[in-house]
Amino acid sequence: MFSIETEGLTKRFGSLTAVDHLSFKVGEGEILGLLGPNGAGKTTTVRMLACIISPSEGSARVAGYEVSRDSLKIRQMVGILTENPSVYDRLTAYENMDFFAEAYGVSDTQERQNRIRKLLEFFELWERRNGKVATLSKGMKQKLAIARALVHEPPILFLDEPTSGLDPESAKGIRDLTKRLSHDEKRTILLCTHRLEDAEKLCNRVMIIRNGRSVIVGTPEELRNKITGQPVLQITLRSLNRKIIEAVKELKHVREVNADDSVARLMVAVDDIEVATPEVIRSIIYADGMVLSANVVRPSFEEAYLKLVSEA
Amino acid sequence: MTLTTHKAILVFRKDWREISRNWQVILPMVVIPFMFSILLPVLVVIIPSAASTPGSSLSGLDAMMSSLPNHVKDELVEMTDQQIAVYMMSLYFFAPFFLIIPLMASSVIAADSFAGEKERKTIEALLAMPITDSQLFLGKVLVSFIPSMIVTSISFLIYSAVVDTFSYPLFGGRLLLPNATWILLIFGLAPTVALASIGLTVVISARVKGFREAQQISAVLLIPIFMLVFGQVAGAIVFGPVMVAALIALLAIIDLLIFRIGVKLFRREEIMTKLA
Repeated sequence: MFSIETEGLTKRFGSLTAVDHLSFKVGEGEILGLLGPNGAGKTTTVRMLACIISPSEGSARVAGYEVSRDSLKIRQMVGILTENPSVYDRLTAYENMDFFAEAYGVSDTQERQNRIRKLLEFFELWERRNGKVATLSKGMKQKLAIARALVHEPPILFLDEPTSGLDPESAKGIRDLTKRLSHDEKRTILLCTHRLEDAEKLCNRVMIIRNGRSVIVGTPEELRNKITGQPVLQITLRSLNRKIIEAVKELKHVREVNADDSVARLMVAVDDIEVATPEVIRSIIYADGMVLSANVVRPSFEEAYLKLVSEA
Repeated sequence: MTLTTHKAILVFRKDWREISRNWQVILPMVVIPFMFSILLPVLVVIIPSAASTPGSSLSGLDAMMSSLPNHVKDELVEMTDQQIAVYMMSLYFFAPFFLIIPLMASSVIAADSFAGEKERKTIEALLAMPITDSQLFLGKVLVSFIPSMIVTSISFLIYSAVVDTFSYPLFGGRLLLPNATWILLIFGLAPTVALASIGLTVVISARVKGFREAQQISAVLLIPIFMLVFGQVAGAIVFGPVMVAALIALLAIIDLLIFRIGVKLFRREEIMTKLA
């Protein structure tokens, strides 16, 4: 069973179509990254799935419940980190957590206290629990908001820019936590992010959306390959001559060879990088070439993403 | 406690914690009882009555007196002019002002209920909670209603003490307050008036972008209460037990309608699309 399923999900605000017939499925314990530029429809999609706004067209099921019918049940099953931290500045960190824990049905006081303590300690906020949230830094507020989303231990999490405003160390902590929640605790996570690093490191699959439409869905690796093809072999030699280039071109797995005489470098596009690499090196050596370095060059996920978004 | 009430009280508790730490909201709630219970009675009733020559205190009260029920008029025949002035001002002239107290005490909180959450960008997490529209609406109404009724009750107690302190020697040991009409007024009419005003203000607050807009629009709600004040001064209406009881019944129906319509008009979506 899928934790999240959408079919032709659409949201219109007057004449503007913010989400346009979006269909996707997220399996239990999977992390799906929603990637796209500002205004692509990521947050609107999450708001529909969290039953804060209703779809104009199409359907969506979260945890087996229909968003148009079972909004209360879905809200109970979902933990949401909103675009803004949405924490109450005049309340203390503990009071914020306590309010949301009780609202999400953690009614036993001792249980509530234990969960809050565990989360605040994990996010290094326990020492600041009695201070007003207004006195916390932006990063601390973000951590508190994530802790709040987890306090009722929901099976499904919607995280909108979870590492926004965090220092690199804290961001890594959040990424590790997100991975653990998915891998060890089998929680399903829908991750909206601009940070390609987060998408690449965390997500099982990524869906790039633009103007409310899905542009492409796949693993980060698949997306890279789909956009720019297979990796390229980059070989730097002491010197480059015609004989070496011809020797490489004649090989079975080689599709294309680009030579840069000025730096004695060959860029070799091959069908299968693992099979072709030793053959290419061997042929260069047999053609009296001296190899200084050989690297497999892959287009970065960022390059792939930018190319996709600009073409869509 | 039912689930509905429990979740509504949860919202109430959270909001009250926030509000109680905001002096800009608390200050008017402290000043209002002082103004209406001590300052105004002393300035308008006690000082002029104590200093006036017989007869002059009654100027301006003729219209109100002529509308009084016969049994009250009979009672006035036995009194001196100074006693009549104090009696009329304390028991009748000031009565509608005590309907303004809960409105003024609640207006800031009610206007802030949703509009403030939008401005402070806390609304989305609130709307994502597993709580029904009526629970959320009720919680927001309660956080305006309960403090305003506490303020009104305290104001009434202080006002009664001030009036009785002055009237006790003047009326030969008789206490003017509390009486049946005022008890009905404070614990029957004031809550129903407050609920109507708060309900409408919360609805407005949910549908506008910001706190100021909500407060400006809700200020219109004071007009009917001022009409009651002027109506009483002009002698058109008198706050006797029958009139107060009739108003309570009428407003209770209005309150119910406002709550039902308010919950129906409450759209999470509209709130999200009207973020400040």
